[in-house]
Amino acid sequence: MVLHKFGEKLYSGLVGTMTLHLQEMAKTIEAAQGNLFLEELNRKWNDHNKALQMIRDILMYMDRTFIPSNRKTPVHELGLNLWRDNVIHSSKIQTRLLDTLLELIQKERTGEIINRGLMRNIIKMLMDLGSSVYQEDFEKHFLEVSADFYRAESQDFIECCDCGDYLKKAERRLNEEIERVSLYLDSKSETKITNVVEKEMIASHMLRLVHMDNSGLVNMLIDDKYEDLGRMYNLFRRVPNGLPTIRDVMTSHLRETGKQLVTDAEKLKDPVEFVQCLLNEKDKYDKIINLAFSNDKTFQNALNSSFEYFINLNPRSPEFISLFVDEKLRKGLKGVSEEDVETILDKVMMLFRYLQEKDVFEKYYKQHLAKRLLSGKTVSDDAERSLIVKLKTECGYQFTSKLEGMFTDMKTSQDTMQGFYAAYAAELGDSPTLVVQVLTTGSWPTQPSITCNLPAEMSALCEKFRSYYLGTHTGRRLSWQTNMGTADLKAIFGKGQKHELNVSTYQMCVLMLFNSADRLSYKEIEQATEIPSSDLRRCLQSLACVKGKNVLRKEPMSKDIGEEDAFFVNDKFTSKFYKVKIGTVVAQKESEPEKQETRQRVEEDRKPQIEAAIVRIMKSRRVLDHNNIIAEVTKQLQSRFLANPGEIKKRIESLIERDFLERDSSDRRLYRYLA
Amino acid sequence: MTITGTSEKAAYQALKASDWHLEGAFDAFYSQPQPKSYTDARRLEDLYNRYKDAYADMIMADGITLLCSDILVDHQDIVMLVLSWHMKAATMCEFSKQEFIGGLQSLGVDSIEKLREKIPFMRSELKDDQKFREIYNFAFGWAKEKGQKSLALDTAIGMWQLLFAEKHWPLVDHWCQFLQARHNKAISRDTWSQLLEFAKTVDPQLSNYDVDGAWPYLIDEFVEYLIENGIIQKGQLSDWTQKH
Repeated sequence: MVLHKFGEKLYSGLVGTMTLHLQEMAKTIEAAQGNLFLEELNRKWNDHNKALQMIRDILMYMDRTFIPSNRKTPVHELGLNLWRDNVIHSSKIQTRLLDTLLELIQKERTGEIINRGLMRNIIKMLMDLGSSVYQEDFEKHFLEVSADFYRAESQDFIECCDCGDYLKKAERRLNEEIERVSLYLDSKSETKITNVVEKEMIASHMLRLVHMDNSGLVNMLIDDKYEDLGRMYNLFRRVPNGLPTIRDVMTSHLRETGKQLVTDAEKLKDPVEFVQCLLNEKDKYDKIINLAFSNDKTFQNALNSSFEYFINLNPRSPEFISLFVDEKLRKGLKGVSEEDVETILDKVMMLFRYLQEKDVFEKYYKQHLAKRLLSGKTVSDDAERSLIVKLKTECGYQFTSKLEGMFTDMKTSQDTMQGFYAAYAAELGDSPTLVVQVLTTGSWPTQPSITCNLPAEMSALCEKFRSYYLGTHTGRRLSWQTNMGTADLKAIFGKGQKHELNVSTYQMCVLMLFNSADRLSYKEIEQATEIPSSDLRRCLQSLACVKGKNVLRKEPMSKDIGEEDAFFVNDKFTSKFYKVKIGTVVAQKESEPEKQETRQRVEEDRKPQIEAAIVRIMKSRRVLDHNNIIAEVTKQLQSRFLANPGEIKKRIESLIERDFLERDSSDRRLYRYLA
Repeated sequence: MTITGTSEKAAYQALKASDWHLEGAFDAFYSQPQPKSYTDARRLEDLYNRYKDAYADMIMADGITLLCSDILVDHQDIVMLVLSWHMKAATMCEFSKQEFIGGLQSLGVDSIEKLREKIPFMRSELKDDQKFREIYNFAFGWAKEKGQKSLALDTAIGMWQLLFAEKHWPLVDHWCQFLQARHNKAISRDTWSQLLEFAKTVDPQLSNYDVDGAWPYLIDEFVEYLIENGIIQKGQLSDWTQKH
C-alpha cells in the first residue's frame, strides 16, 4: 500500500484498528476478578508484544520509508504508546494497577509470598513503556507509600525494641528492599528506596537510638558488642551526620570514663595498675574501632584526642607511666618473648605520645632508670635499649642522650673494674669484693652526695680504687654516693643460721658496727656512721621493724625510732631463704614533698628552654608582636611540654631586663631583638 | 614659659624676634629665660662651692639640705626631682659639679634668687604629658642604687606616691599595697616604665584592659589581685574573664 502512496491510509488504519483492539483488551482486563487482574494484564501484554512484532515485520517497509519521512511514530513505538494510552491509562485500569502492585508489595513486606515473576513482568512492562511511565505511574507512589509504611513501622519498633534489635530490623528491611529492587524493580530505584528506608528508619530516630537507656551506643561500647556496633556503623554511615553522631557520643563517653579513671583515688594508689587500666582501655577501643568501625580514621582521631584529654588531667600521669615501665623492666617482662616485649613497649609509647608534659616523664624516667641500673635490677638490657631507641625516634637525640650516657657509664665502669682487679689482684685477695660504678655527673639524676663513715675494710679498699682511677683519669673528681650503693653481707646468727644479706650501703655500715659491739644506741650508731638522721631512721626501721627481715632487734619494740632506742643483733632471726634482701633502693611513687620537689625542678628546667626558644625566634624574626611570640614559642616547645603564656611573659621580661630584647618605642606590644 | 608653658625653643625664637623685649614677646609669643650664654660662669662656680661637700668634689646630702632651705623647698618636694632631671643627675642625693652647673645653665639661672623664681616653672613642667613621661622614666635610674639593675621596692613605692600625686592615678594606693603584699622584690625598668603607660591608657575600672596586651606579668597579677579583692567588679572585665 505504501508503494502506492496509501501510506497515510495504512498508518491511520493501523492506529485506528489497534486502538479499537486495545480498548477491547482493556475491557477484558478490567473484567478480570481480584488476583487474576494482573495475570490477565500480563497475558494480554505478552499477546500484544507478539502481535506488535508481527505487525512491525509486516509493515517494515512503511516503518522505514513512510514513517520517517512523514515524521510519524514508528510502528513498535506506536504500539507501545497505544497500549499505554488505551490500557494502562484507561481510567479503570490505571488506579487499579497501581493499587494492586502496591498491595502486593505491602503483602510481601508483611511476610506473605507473592508472585515475583509476575511482578517483574508488569514492572518491566511499565519500564518498556517509558521511564516517565514507570516513574509517574508507579515509582513515585511506591516511594511515598513506602515512606509511610516505614515511618509507621519504625515508630512501632522504637517503642518496643532495644537498640540492637531495632538496628537488626532496620538492616533487614534495608536488605529486603535491595533484594526487591534486584528481583522486580528498575535498578535505578535502588538508591531511591534505600534513601527512604534510611531516612525513616535511621535518620529520624538516630539520636533516640544512640541514647537509648540500657541498650544504646554507650552500653554497646561498655559491653563490647562488636556486631551491634558494626551494624550501627554500617547503617549510620548511610545517613547524613550519622557517623559524626556516633563519634561524638563515643568521644564524650570516653572522655568521661577516662576522666573518672584518672581521678579515681583507689586506682591512683597503684601506679602500675593505673597504667594497666589505661592500656586496657586503649586496647578495648582499638578493638572496637577495628572490628566494628572498620578502622575508620576519624574514629581513631577521636580516640586519640580523648586519651590526650584525660591522660593530661592527672599531673602524675608522666610519673606513673615511668613507674609502669620501671616495673616491667625490673621484673614484669621476665620470660616474655621478644615480640611481646616489643608490643608492650610500643603500647607504652602510645601513651607517652599523649603526654603533654614529656619533660616530666623524662625526669622520672631518668631517676627510675638510674635505680634500675645501679641495683642491677633490669630484666633485659635489650628491652631497655629498645625503649630508648623508641624514645629517641619520638623525641629526638637530646631527649635520650643523657640516658644513653648512663648506659655507657655502666659499661665503662665494668671495664674499669676489670682493670682495677687486674692491677691489684695480688693485694686484694682477702678484701671484700668491690664493684664501683663511676657515674658522669651530667647524665645521672642529681643527688646531693652525703658521705658517711664506711667500715674500715671498705674505706681502705675505696681509697685504693680512688687512686687507681685518678691515676688513669687525672683532672677528674670522684665523690662517693653512699646513699645509692648496695652490699652483700654474709652473716652468722645466734644459732648458727647462715644467711647472705643484700642491703644498702647505709645498712651495711650499721650492721658492720655490730661486729665489734653487742649493743648500740641510736646515738652511737649515728655518731659512728654519720648517716643523715632521716635516712638513718629509715635504714634502722628496715633492719629492725620489718617482719621477715628483722636482722636487728630493737628496744623498745615500737615502730618508730627514738633517740634513746637500743639495738642488738637479732640472734633469733630466721628466714626460709638463704639470701635475704633488705635493700631499699626500689623506685616507688613519690611522697608529696618529693613530688613537689621534682615538679619544682621541672619548672626550673623549663625556664632556660623557654628563653632559648624566645631568643631563637627573635633572632630570626628581629621584630615580633606579643601574641605571635607566645604562639611561636608554645609551638616550638610543644613536643616537650605545654608552655604557660604567663611563664613565657616572665621570661620575655627577664630577657628585656638583660638587654636581649627591648620594647618598641611607639608600639608597646612589639618586641625587638637586640643583637 | 612659667606662665605660658611653651617649649624653650619657641620662646627663645619669640624673644629673639622681638629683640628681647619681654612685653613684645608676650604679646606675640611667649617669654623665655635667658639662654645659656647669659649665665655667669663665675657665679655658678661660687654657687657650687657653697654647696660642695667638705671631702669630695660633689654636692652631697648636707649640701642638698642647704640648697633646699635656700630655695625654700622641702627636700622631699617633687620639684627636686625635676631639678635633678634638668641636671641629668645620675643618682639621687648627690650632684656632681658638672651636673649642678650644667643643670643650672640649662635652666638659665646663676643665683639662688633666680633658681627660686624658676620653681613655679619647674612645677608646671610636670603638667606637660611628654615631660612628665621623661621625668617619670628618668626617676627610675635616678632613684635606684648605683650598680643595681632594679629599683628597691620601698624606694619605688615612695617615688610612685610622689609622682602620682602630680598626675593623679586612682589605683596608685592599691598598686603599692599589692606590691607589698604579693611581690616584695625590686622593680625592673620595664615594669616601671610600663606602669605609666598602664596608668595612662587603661581606665581605673579596667574596662579596656586587654589580657593579651603585652603588659608586664606584675601588672597582670595586679589586675588579678584587684578582682580577687573585689576592688574591681568582675562584670566589667567580661573580655578578660573569658580569655582567662
